[in-house]
Amino acid sequence: MEDIVVDINDVSLIYHERSGETPAVDHLSMQVKRGEFVSVVGPSGCGKTSVLSLIAGIIEPSSGSVSIDGFKPGYMLQRDHLLDWRNVEGNILLGLEVQKNLTPQTRNCALGLLDTYGLSAFAKHYPRQLSGGMRQKVALIRTLATSPDVLLLDEPFSSLDYQTRLRLSDEVYDIIKNEHKTAILVTHDISEAISMSDRLLVFTRRPARIKNEHKISLSRGDTPIARRKAPEFKDYFDVVWKELDVGEV
Amino acid sequence: MKSEKAAAYSPEHAAFLKKLENRDRFVTIARYALLILLIAMWEILARVGVIDSFIGSSPVRVAQTVARLYAAGDLFLHIGVTLFETVVGFLLGTALGTLIAILLWWSPALSRVLDPYLVVLNALPKIALGPILIVWFGAGVSSIIAMALLVSLVVTIMSVLAGFNEITGDKQLLMRTLGATKMQIFTKVVFPASVPTIMNALKLSVGMSWVGVIVGEYLVSKAGLGYLIVYGGQVFKLDLVMSSIAVLCVLAALMYYGVAYMEKRLVSWRYHS
Repeated sequence: MEDIVVDINDVSLIYHERSGETPAVDHLSMQVKRGEFVSVVGPSGCGKTSVLSLIAGIIEPSSGSVSIDGFKPGYMLQRDHLLDWRNVEGNILLGLEVQKNLTPQTRNCALGLLDTYGLSAFAKHYPRQLSGGMRQKVALIRTLATSPDVLLLDEPFSSLDYQTRLRLSDEVYDIIKNEHKTAILVTHDISEAISMSDRLLVFTRRPARIKNEHKISLSRGDTPIARRKAPEFKDYFDVVWKELDVGEV
Repeated sequence: MKSEKAAAYSPEHAAFLKKLENRDRFVTIARYALLILLIAMWEILARVGVIDSFIGSSPVRVAQTVARLYAAGDLFLHIGVTLFETVVGFLLGTALGTLIAILLWWSPALSRVLDPYLVVLNALPKIALGPILIVWFGAGVSSIIAMALLVSLVVTIMSVLAGFNEITGDKQLLMRTLGATKMQIFTKVVFPASVPTIMNALKLSVGMSWVGVIVGEYLVSKAGLGYLIVYGGQVFKLDLVMSSIAVLCVLAALMYYGVAYMEKRLVSWRYHS
């Protein structure tokens, strides 16, 4: 039996506000196995981000159950949210500090990540001295420093320009594979999803349900950029594009 | 140092920098020139009799009065009393105001309950409470400090709280994804991010403390610059009134720049680039 890291079982989520209620997730069930890279694509505002928040335990489901028993989530947000008054080193240690787990060992481990991913020269720099891509990488290392088992990536590249986005998705893919992490990527970018993941879930419009599921197997390429050149790539793209049912703009 | 740097730039840029430098110098010179001009005009108009120096005083008479106060050993007594009241009122107002702002940030329910009270307290002219303060705290320094505290407190609470709330929405999500407690969200993000706002609030409240102290001294005092002003007015010694105001100007400016300097030191991370 394969290890199930994330198990979402018949989960519904309703947001309540004074002006009314909004169903965001509707009887959703999904599972993610250890080491798997799963992407979720769906129309904007369909409740993709809510699913990540549910997995991270930031919000509770209205009904159903979410379990990541024994596994630790690490969340990477759309914006880097680096703290301006802390240098890079201070920023990547934030998670460890908050989780009261800052020991010389974990600290060295975090600084080691900085070194591995080519940012050690910037340890004493402040966020405003870094480019957008570097900032996002620092944000990823901040997440990795807390040694999560499951990475929850919420459109982590969407605030970047196109070239940076491609390069960074290559690097992040590399990092995730190197560290043997399980990852769930939420995105509205179909190509990004196909190029990075083992499995792709297409969500319906809100409230989110799974419309279809694709196992991605590309005949060549071991990085997202290379995978984009595989002959099957555009077939997946066409199928998912139709399923997304973007409709009129 | 400027000229050293300029060598590396193109002639156009050097010319641009030179222009900026000239403009800065012009502003500085104009500021002092205006001050000197105003003082000189005042003195001349008083001498030729356009201004009656009995009711309008004159710079020389102001200087003489200050010198006389100094010789009598009174000058630093009055300055000391007023300065003490202001500094204590300011520090208390800042500490208490920040503390209350933290409480209100912590409990949005409390903040909503107290909101109308804050609004009324803010709108109320605090001098109306003067007689009550005198009855409660006695006719002395404590009443004056209480007045300074009252005048600066509500402004501090409101501006610091607004600063806290502005930061919270944005970075709270990040902290929650890391599993932070509310206390950690406050100490690691909300408070450090609010330092610039708090420093701005202090610049406001340092002025408010001066208002409170002088108003307090008008109501009840045996010494201090406010006392000198009221006393001078009552016995028709406008020289004394003008002198006290001049000293007050200098003190208020010094204290403001002190806070502004502290601000610059504390928020130096904002200038990292």
